[in-house]
Amino acid sequence: MNPSNMSSPVIISLIVAIIFQLIPVSGDWILWRPNFLMLVTVAWILYKPAYFGIGFAAFVGLLADTVFRTGLGHYVLVFAACGAIANLLSRWLTYFSYFHRAVLIFILVMFTGLVEAALFSIRNMPVDFAHVPVLGLTSAIVWVLVDKFVAILNSTYR
Amino acid sequence: MKNVFAKSSSPLRKMFLVSLVAFGLMFLDNGTSWLSSIYRVADNLVRPLYWITNIPSRVQEWGQLNVTSRTIIEQENTRLKQESLIHRGQLQRMSELAAENMRLRQLLNATELLMDSVLVTDVIGVSPSPYSHTVTIDRGLDDGVYVGQPLLDADGLMGQIISVYGGHSVAMLITDSSHALPVQVLRNGVRSIVEGTSDYNRMRLRYVSPTADIVIGDQLVSSGLGGRFPAGYPVGTVSTIEQGLGETFVDVEVDPSAQLDRSRHLLLVFTSDTSAIDGSAR
Repeated sequence: MNPSNMSSPVIISLIVAIIFQLIPVSGDWILWRPNFLMLVTVAWILYKPAYFGIGFAAFVGLLADTVFRTGLGHYVLVFAACGAIANLLSRWLTYFSYFHRAVLIFILVMFTGLVEAALFSIRNMPVDFAHVPVLGLTSAIVWVLVDKFVAILNSTYR
Repeated sequence: MKNVFAKSSSPLRKMFLVSLVAFGLMFLDNGTSWLSSIYRVADNLVRPLYWITNIPSRVQEWGQLNVTSRTIIEQENTRLKQESLIHRGQLQRMSELAAENMRLRQLLNATELLMDSVLVTDVIGVSPSPYSHTVTIDRGLDDGVYVGQPLLDADGLMGQIISVYGGHSVAMLITDSSHALPVQVLRNGVRSIVEGTSDYNRMRLRYVSPTADIVIGDQLVSSGLGGRFPAGYPVGTVSTIEQGLGETFVDVEVDPSAQLDRSRHLLLVFTSDTSAIDGSAR
């Protein structure tokens, strides 16, 4: 893909992710809703590790901070940490099946849960880690669709 | 598109730089208001997306209006008429009590309580983060909404406005972990402060003495102290009271009265004194 053609699919995927993220859900469902922005970010890093890495993840994190109102810097750090791991593993993951990638997403979500918990502890906010395994599971399930979606965008704009 | 990070720079170094930037942003965001314009721009950019995200609920409402059978609508109409009759009866009693209250206050030379006016509003967006309890409503500066304005639903206090834009506003809910609200027990007037816990179904009272006269089932209403929230609106009901070994204060949990994660139609309260903005959102 010509790098100049990559902005459109990336922007489309980020807008779709934000829309999914903003759909109102009630009660405990909000705790189990996957972080679509993070999944899309990881997908792009895995597909195009030469172009997208920690900086891209940090930028999307900043976008998430402003949209989610979590306080600037929070998701910058979480997404960057997540992006760094995805970037490091991208060479091997290219050869992995969907199932193995889904397992990686589960582990990544658990990891980001820990990072978030640490950040919330620093800010004296209540921390609840109980929902993170379920969140990891829902993220891993949704990941298959996100992966497919990004793959389609990637091939369409090639 | 240029490569975001050149290959020459090591991942560890990049991560270190990003961490520095992130902590710098956290510090600036928490300690100053320099970055508030970023939220303003983001809110205005994201607002059109709320129209799309609300399509499922609008379809549901349309379905309820158009697909529901005539019999069900008639039954609902009858029920609503009965409810209206009951509420009007209660209102008459309330009016009498309010008049009596005012007369007694005049006798005591106390300040008169003014009736609050309200404005109906709809929720158009909900914060996607489980840790940030905010909602976006479809009223803004054009409707006279102001920062600190209390927000109600049919059952009780929902929260307060924290950002106002031209046609929409953002409100922080009372369950947000950074929100605190002065309350009093309806039964005996014991005052306390209720705090959010980032859980839509639970709040807690701070610094309650073991000897305080608070029991399970007590209803809490806003006390009006601090000047932000008007007095007398339902806030929640005491659900559990526990004291840990060696603890100076008891842990009191409160179930919110308002349907914080369900209500779509809300009321903005215009209090008599809109200049009072000290205090409730820490």
